[in-house]
Amino acid sequence: MTVATYTTPMTAAAVGIPAGLREKISIRNLDFFYGEHRALKNISVPLYHGKVTAFIGPSGCGKSTLLRVLNRMYDLYPNQRAVGKVTLDDEDILSPAQDLNLLRAKVGMVFQKPTPFPMSIYENIAFGIRLYERLPKSELDSKVEQALIRAALWDEVKDKLHASGLSLSGGQQQRLCIARTVAVRPEVILFDEPCSALDPISTAKIEELIDELKDDYTIAIVTHNMQQAARVSDFTAFMYLGELIEFGETTRLFTSPSDPRTQDYITGRFG
Amino acid sequence: MQRPNRREPVVDVALPGDAVLVSGPVERARALRRLRVRDAAFRHLTRLAAGAVLAILGGIVVALVQGAWPAFSRFGFDFLITESWNPVTEKFGAIAPIYGTVVTSFIAMVVAVPVGLFIALFLTELCPRWLRRPIGIAIELLAGIPSIIYGIWGLFVFAPFLQQYVQPVIIDLFGGVPLLSTLFAGPPYGIGLLTAGLILAIMILPFITSISRDVFDAVPSVLKEAAYGIGCTTWEVMWHVVLPYARVGVIGGVMLGLGRALGETMAVTFVIGNAHRIAGSIFAPGTTISATIANEFTEAVGDLYTSALIALGLILFVITFVVLALARYLLMRLNARVGG
Amino acid sequence: MALYHVRRRRNRIALGLAVAATGFGLAWLIIILGVLLWEGLSGLSLAVFTRMTPPPGSAGGLLNPIVGSLILTFLAILIGTPIGILAGTYMAEYGRYSRLTSVVRFINDILLSAPSIVIGLFVYEVMVARMGHFSGWAGAAALAVIVIPVVVRTTEDMLTLVPDTLREAAASIGLPRSLMITKVAYRAARAGMITGVLLAIARISGETAPLLFTALNNQFWSVDMNGPIASLPVVIFQFALSPYHDWQRLAWTGALIITMAVLALSILARLLAAQRRAS
Repeated sequence: MTVATYTTPMTAAAVGIPAGLREKISIRNLDFFYGEHRALKNISVPLYHGKVTAFIGPSGCGKSTLLRVLNRMYDLYPNQRAVGKVTLDDEDILSPAQDLNLLRAKVGMVFQKPTPFPMSIYENIAFGIRLYERLPKSELDSKVEQALIRAALWDEVKDKLHASGLSLSGGQQQRLCIARTVAVRPEVILFDEPCSALDPISTAKIEELIDELKDDYTIAIVTHNMQQAARVSDFTAFMYLGELIEFGETTRLFTSPSDPRTQDYITGRFG
Repeated sequence: MQRPNRREPVVDVALPGDAVLVSGPVERARALRRLRVRDAAFRHLTRLAAGAVLAILGGIVVALVQGAWPAFSRFGFDFLITESWNPVTEKFGAIAPIYGTVVTSFIAMVVAVPVGLFIALFLTELCPRWLRRPIGIAIELLAGIPSIIYGIWGLFVFAPFLQQYVQPVIIDLFGGVPLLSTLFAGPPYGIGLLTAGLILAIMILPFITSISRDVFDAVPSVLKEAAYGIGCTTWEVMWHVVLPYARVGVIGGVMLGLGRALGETMAVTFVIGNAHRIAGSIFAPGTTISATIANEFTEAVGDLYTSALIALGLILFVITFVVLALARYLLMRLNARVGG
Repeated sequence: MALYHVRRRRNRIALGLAVAATGFGLAWLIIILGVLLWEGLSGLSLAVFTRMTPPPGSAGGLLNPIVGSLILTFLAILIGTPIGILAGTYMAEYGRYSRLTSVVRFINDILLSAPSIVIGLFVYEVMVARMGHFSGWAGAAALAVIVIPVVVRTTEDMLTLVPDTLREAAASIGLPRSLMITKVAYRAARAGMITGVLLAIARISGETAPLLFTALNNQFWSVDMNGPIASLPVVIFQFALSPYHDWQRLAWTGALIITMAVLALSILARLLAAQRRAS
């Protein structure tokens, strides 16, 4: 087991990070291009196992783009490419030989807008499970139940498992998507502004959920909401114009940022 | 329980039961490998199907050229300019059906284009909102009626009506006027070029209307509002702002309607009269390419006769291909502009 | 102020013409449907659906052409729909940005409005001339060639409307592309794709020209696809142009049946599309 001690090259940002953490995903010198446009510039940042890392920054700073590199989502589109080194444990994510479906099964993603599949609540979850294993009905049922419990949705939907996933409220749909992601048993979960389309109560539920999930998963969350980043994350990365400005423990970054731009952003002077 | 992988089973803590049954990643990779074959097969299948669409067009061209070859090699270019169509002496020329096709389509366009544009104007600018959909649907239902229905209706209802009430009046009216008296020379058969053209007009009206409505709707409302703002009337906004802006799209829609009119078979076959000659009067019976093929193909004896009919089909295909390609090109250009 | 009045009058005339044009367009629909009902209903009886086409001068029905049309339409849809859906899938999913797609789209749009009689000639050359006889299979093939572009078009359009976020969501749980398409995208686009197939059925059930020299016609009961087979449109064509009054009556009745079927299909398709928009 490779329990890497903290060895990020960013000396300035490294101040105050406790040792004993394992890098689940490591991003080194990552550039990203939309055609000719360079959207990410030389990003190096770790995602620690069992921790929540938040990416904040004004819109268009590249934080969502970064997230979409981690499960190679950009591969669905032409003219988008990533250059650099990104590893999951010791496996090269960017390698052309990488099995994308296997990678995405390991690195799950929850999107800005809830995206339930156009099928029943039960099927939404059973679908992903069936992909990899043939199970007797009773076991499948119990897995679906487990996933829904894990996403704190079971009590609300247990009586209507065969209703359409689209019949749920926005917040419930988002938790359904989390349950769907969890059911595939990923190791990392990426949240791309998961609450921006939700009301405050649903938002609170999702945040609570993220907090519970982090014991078992490595989590990255992109958010434009700094309070949210402060509430849910252990580490925070501040990005600006495609560059990583500062990375550090959330409490430290929000109380004593070392870069003036970070300072400006978290005090609301721009963004 | 052996675990070949060094990763700790974090997820299995989350979902108890997994650890016992599945050995995680290895199993999963195997499942995915199995799916990969299916995945590739499906992708190639869709590609093949897309290729089939091209193959159909290619097949049509090859089959028609092959079938038309005997006629073309026998008559050469003369085929295109000869009026004679005589199965007995095996002398065939295409000019009469080409003429009929062009004239009936022209009549159809003259009637359907203005009417279609006015309907589109009504639907986009005047019609109360709640009435827009029903009327739009009704007009489009016209497009759904099979052409053979137009044919049977034209033969039994429309042609007799024209023969009894319309054509005599027009013949009397223009009898003394030079030029017009030739154009509308009697006798009133009922069936003929004009009748076919008018039925075609009714048939293509829905196409022109619905495309024009769509392009009118696509005109940015700021443009219209700006014109209304300086005191333009509805008609002036239409004429000076909407039409020029939507010109390319309207022309595209008109060409699409023309493509339909040129190739329409059944509605025309019933009422054209099937006479292989070029007459000056639009009341006279004539024929079109499609009507000639429909009427004569199964009865054609001899390879040359059949080949001449297929040659007609090839000519029709080339004409409609050019018209439709132009229409698509114009509409594509419009979409590119609206989209970009 | 004179100019102002001229402008206003011109406006009123133009708007009056617009209303008149709309009335003109709608009038045809009413007249045609009215005549069709008037002429067709009088001949409509149970015998139409239970008896064969008669020789001139005796009573009969339209059973064999109705069955023939049903068989031809069913087979054409059976052949054409999978090809159309797969091709549309390629264009909207795998090849959305490829050159092949724009070429196929262009060609498909042309096939969509290509003269159907030319398609009849094509199938005649490829199948009938080669096999040496007219056949139901040739008729079904000709209709399938008409079905394909309709289905390609609606499939591509409907799949393009499926939001990319749904595809990303499917990809994010590791779904291979083919499953993402067949299990998620198809499901999301289902109503629209069914609409497309309904429209294709509506389109071919009245098609006459491509059947004239492929399936030909058959006076007698036959469901042998290797031989000529009767179809409603071709029988209408033959009977309407005949000099016999009772044949003409049957033609009208057949025309009514076809039109009602086609209109029912297009209204059904519309309702389905509207439902999809509402949900």
